[in-house]
Order: sequence, then C-alpha cells, then structure tokens
Amino acid sequence: MTAYDLDDEGVVVIIGSGAGGGTLANELAQRGVEVVLLEAGKHLTADDFVNDEWGGYEMLSWLDKRTSSGTWRVAKDHPLTPSWSCQVVGGTTTHWSACCYRFIEDELRAKTVYGDIPGTSLIDWPITLDELNPYYELAEAKMGVTRTNGLPGLPANNNFKVMYAGAKALGLNVSTGRHAINSIPYDGRPATIQDGFTITGDKVGSRWSTLNVEIPRGLATGRLELRSRSRAVLIEHDEAGKASAVIYVDGEGVTRRQKARAVVLAGNCVESSRLLLHSKSARFPDGLANGWGHVGRHYLRHLIQTVWSTFDKPVHMHRGEIMGGMIDDFVRHDPSRGFAGGYYIEMNSMGLPTTAAFMDPGWWGRDFASVIEQYSKMAGIFMSGEDMPQPDNRITLTDELDAYGVPVANIHYDDHPNDLKLRSHGYKVLTSIHKAAGAKRSIEAPAYPASHNLGSNRMSAKAEDGVLDGHGRAWEVPNLFIADGSNFATGGACNPTLTIVALAIRQADFMAGRMAAGEL
Amino acid sequence: MCSAVTAHKDPKLPPPVELPEGPEWVGALKLFDAPAAETLVAAVRTLYPHDGLPERIYRRTVFHFDAMAAKAPPVAQSFAEFVDLVDGALPVKFADLSESYRVQVLKGIEASGAFRLVQRSAVRFLYDDVEVWQAFGYEGASVHLGGYVNRGFNDLDWLPDPPAGV
Repeated sequence: MTAYDLDDEGVVVIIGSGAGGGTLANELAQRGVEVVLLEAGKHLTADDFVNDEWGGYEMLSWLDKRTSSGTWRVAKDHPLTPSWSCQVVGGTTTHWSACCYRFIEDELRAKTVYGDIPGTSLIDWPITLDELNPYYELAEAKMGVTRTNGLPGLPANNNFKVMYAGAKALGLNVSTGRHAINSIPYDGRPATIQDGFTITGDKVGSRWSTLNVEIPRGLATGRLELRSRSRAVLIEHDEAGKASAVIYVDGEGVTRRQKARAVVLAGNCVESSRLLLHSKSARFPDGLANGWGHVGRHYLRHLIQTVWSTFDKPVHMHRGEIMGGMIDDFVRHDPSRGFAGGYYIEMNSMGLPTTAAFMDPGWWGRDFASVIEQYSKMAGIFMSGEDMPQPDNRITLTDELDAYGVPVANIHYDDHPNDLKLRSHGYKVLTSIHKAAGAKRSIEAPAYPASHNLGSNRMSAKAEDGVLDGHGRAWEVPNLFIADGSNFATGGACNPTLTIVALAIRQADFMAGRMAAGEL
Repeated sequence: MCSAVTAHKDPKLPPPVELPEGPEWVGALKLFDAPAAETLVAAVRTLYPHDGLPERIYRRTVFHFDAMAAKAPPVAQSFAEFVDLVDGALPVKFADLSESYRVQVLKGIEASGAFRLVQRSAVRFLYDDVEVWQAFGYEGASVHLGGYVNRGFNDLDWLPDPPAGV
C-alpha cells in the first residue's frame, strides 16, 4: 500500500472520494501524479451494504447536523437534514441512481439564452459544449453508460410500462434512458439483476461508482493513498497565498497536517463551501478564495419532485432499476412555456418505507392511509429541472460548532418565481402522463432533501462573478481546485454526476499538464 | 391488501422484535409506563389508521419510540410531553376517545415539536415493519434472492409491452 509522509509537499490532496474527487484521484494517478485522498467516511464494501432503505440511509448518509432557512419546503420538512449526500468511500456515487444525461448548449449559455431575469445571478459557463464533449465521451466510456459505445439500454420494467403507455398516449419521446448501470456485463462488472437497491450501496456492482471502479484503479497505480475516516477541517496557505496543507482529524481522533502541492475540494456543495468559509486568515478574512464574496452563494439544488399515482391493478414498482425511464421533450428552453430553462422527466420508484416518508411529510390520517395502502398498485414519475441561481441562496456558517470545532452550515434557499412556474408545469405534465395510463389518483410529492447540490463555488469567465476559473481552479489561489458539483456555473436540468465526472477528467488533464510544465 | 407477494428483510438485519400478545407487551419497554405506551399506540393508529393491521404492529412502532427515548433524554421528554398534551386535551383519556375526537386532539397540537416527533417517528417505523410490507405488497430485500430479474421485474400485463430496446 502506498503511504505518503505528512510532510511530503509533492502530493495533491483531494478532499472527498465521490464522483468528482474519486474520479480525479484516479485520473491524476494514471497520469503519474502522487495523490492523497481524504474521505470522512468509512471504507465499506459490497458485503457491508444492505438491501434496506433506512438501513442504507443510516449507513451511507452524511448525517451531521445542518440547519436550513428560506421559503423552500425542505426547510419545513427536513430542517436539520436539508441536503442528502453520503459520507463513505465513494461518496454519493454509492447512492446515486446513475442517470447520465449531458448538458445542452443552451444551458451552458444560460445568461445569454435566458436573458435578464430579475432576482437571478445567471452567468454563462466559461467553457463551451465543444470543449466539454470529448470529456463527456471519456466519462460515458469509463462509466459504461447505456446507449453509448454500443451498450444496450436498460430493459423496461413494470414502472416503465406505465410511464411508456402514458407518454406514448401523449405523443412524448420516451425511452428507458441512459444509465451507468450495466445492462450487459461490461468492464469486469456484471449486468444488473434488477434488485432495486442501487441507492443503498449496490451489492451487485453493476452500477459504476468511484468505490468500485475509480478508487481501486487509482490504488493499483501505486501513486494513490486513500485515507478513510479522515475529516478535513481546515485548509492552510503559505505566505505567497498558495494552499500548503490540509488539517484533518483521523479515525482515532488525532489531528493531522498533510502538506500539499495542490489541494482539491470535492466534499459536495455544503462541505466544500463550509471548508472554504471556515479557512479564514489575515489574507483571506472572509474565507479562502472568497475575495469576491461568492463562496457559498448561488446555491442550486434542481427542481426535483415526484408524482405518485395509484392504479386499479398491480405495478410492483420496486422491482428493478429505479430510474430506468426518461422523457426529453421539456429539456429545451422554450419561452412560450412562460419560464426559463427546462426539465427532464425520469422514472422513479421507492420502497414502501421511503415512499411513505417522502410522499408528503406531515400528511397523516385516513386519506394518507388509503393511498399508502395501495403501494403495490402505485407508479412513480419524477422530474429534475433547472433552478435559478440567486446570490442569497447560500451556504453560511452558524455560531454552533460541530464535534470537530467547525461551524455547522446553514443552507438558505428562497424559491424564485421561475422555479415555481417550472414546478407547476412539471407537476401537470407528470400527472397527465399517469392519467393517460389510467391513474386513479395522483399525488404531487414535494422535493426530498437536496441531492443535486450545485453552484455554491461556481466557475465563471470573470473573477468577479464567481470563485473558480474554467478549470475549476480558484481565481485567488492558483493551486486550489474544486471537483464537485459546487463548481457548476449554472445548474442545467440533468442529473449532475456525468458532468461532474467529465469536468474531473478535464481537470486532471489540466492539472497534470501544468505540473509537467512546472507551473503547479 | 395484497397477499400475492412475500416480504423479506435483509438477512443481515435483525428480525422484527417479538412482543408478547396482550397487555403484558409493555413489559418489553425500557422507559414508557403502560398508560403512556397505550396512549402512543392509540396515537399511531389514529395517525395511520390501517384497519386491517393487527395491534402488534402498532405496538412494535411504539417499541421503537421507547428505544429512541431510552437513548436520548430530550427525546424522552418530547414523548412525555406528547402524552400529556393528548391525554389532557379532553375530559376523556386519549386512548378511550372515539376516532373523531382523537383526530381533533391531534389536529390541535400539530404545530408542536412533540407532535412532529411522534408523527415522523411513526412513519419511520410503522412503514419499515416487514409485516406492513407484506400487507401492502412491498417485497423488500432482493439481492439474496437473485434480484427481480427472474422474479417479475417486468411482469405487468395490463398494459401493452413497449417495443424491445425502447
């Protein structure tokens, strides 16, 4: 096992082993770079995972306290767990349902295409789709995305049959979609056995994750050291203003200082922004890389919601891959709909425990009971839409300290009028699809804790508009990078993981190139 | 109710707790006394009234409440506060009220933290009970049985099958 010295100044230190950090660690190691990967969670294996919704939730989730405020319903329903990500080796790729869609050109030019929308802080991405596409191709190949590189799509399951019937009746373009889940054996991993438990860790390994693909391959190079149960608490910089070390607390509770050639944050939005805000110094009095005041701001979480419908006959939606359905008719920006941006429609299924918990938290009584009793005859359909960046939707530090002495984060989010218009449009379409398939009753379920956390350390073409340049490098700290979804300039509509992975591969190219040139 | 399927808990997880039938079930509790436990059972049944479910399932939910309370004194205090609120709301003890009065009492305290704790915990544990899964047609853990690939993942037959490869 590779082990680097704490005083080794030649290593790149990456904080977080999920889609961004885990991928970047492997990609850098493959390019000859020495990497220390810090992960706050444990190193679990497929044997540890359970086929159990609450058991998996408690095993994988980042459950440290956070607080929330603002008009978003999450603040009422889930005030202390407003964001849903994982604390485990592999990060949230141990939990994701593997939808893999690309940004479209309009979404990368959101400010130009959507125009001036009051209250928003829209910008264009500092990179184009032409620059990103080669990396999307690399990402899709490594992840084994269905319907790319000759891989077949996932087969239709029961829930999809309902979605398909309704969508076809309405003339919509529907397929099982594209997923980083093997429909046939690929890359040493088996085909799905349709177990329906990707979100509790995936015991089978048919789904790509950094736990089962990127990290083992990085470790095999001999240039990557993984330190699990290592909680980063502070980033230090030297007199020149370059990141020089990461302070972390190891599994025995001992505080360590790992020196670094470069530092990459990849701890998901809340943790990456929290670490920057907490890493204050005389040179960076408002937090590291926060001279322009954008760290933590423009937080995005996508307009996510589900419609659950009951039918006369059994569906058994829990059988099979949970999100194997997609409709792309509403992705493009279409001003005639009365709002900016678009949304993907996707299939969704949950087991009885979480369907009951998330259908409408707070709902009780005979009416609720009469619906949930119909679980076996229930189908689910879901959407992920673009929310508008607003400067005051942000992650901040509270006065309360956690067990490591770091302030607990608050997430503030106010819904923008555009968000409400898109949500309402989406609910109507989702319901109409199920009605067209024969639904007796449809329930508009609200968003669950935010799982698509984006934008709070955003890339921008101009330093004054964001935190990072187009390579995810801090404008003010030339050897500090961000590799998680907090680097998104705007949110787009699609599930973010594929784009996080593509950006991480691109970032690895950039970092390795700079290192080879002696500039990093 | 749907009895066409068999529900499975993950074999790695402990099986559901077996409580004695009859009033002596409260002997399995660490913290709650019998009157508090019976009030909570009545509350969970009022919140989530499934007439076909036997009493033991609601008792198991309250057994989980008791375990939560035994672990955290502030949680115990909230459960106690809930019991006081609902038992003191009307001249009849909560568990002895008719359903419409029980609903009225619960609506009256919906804004309280104690209500929120009981309601959220009820959802959390009641619908995680394998006997409820069985009753409502959720099969649960599947990998140890080979997933659903050969066990009905695409057996819905009341709608036309989509074309292959869609």
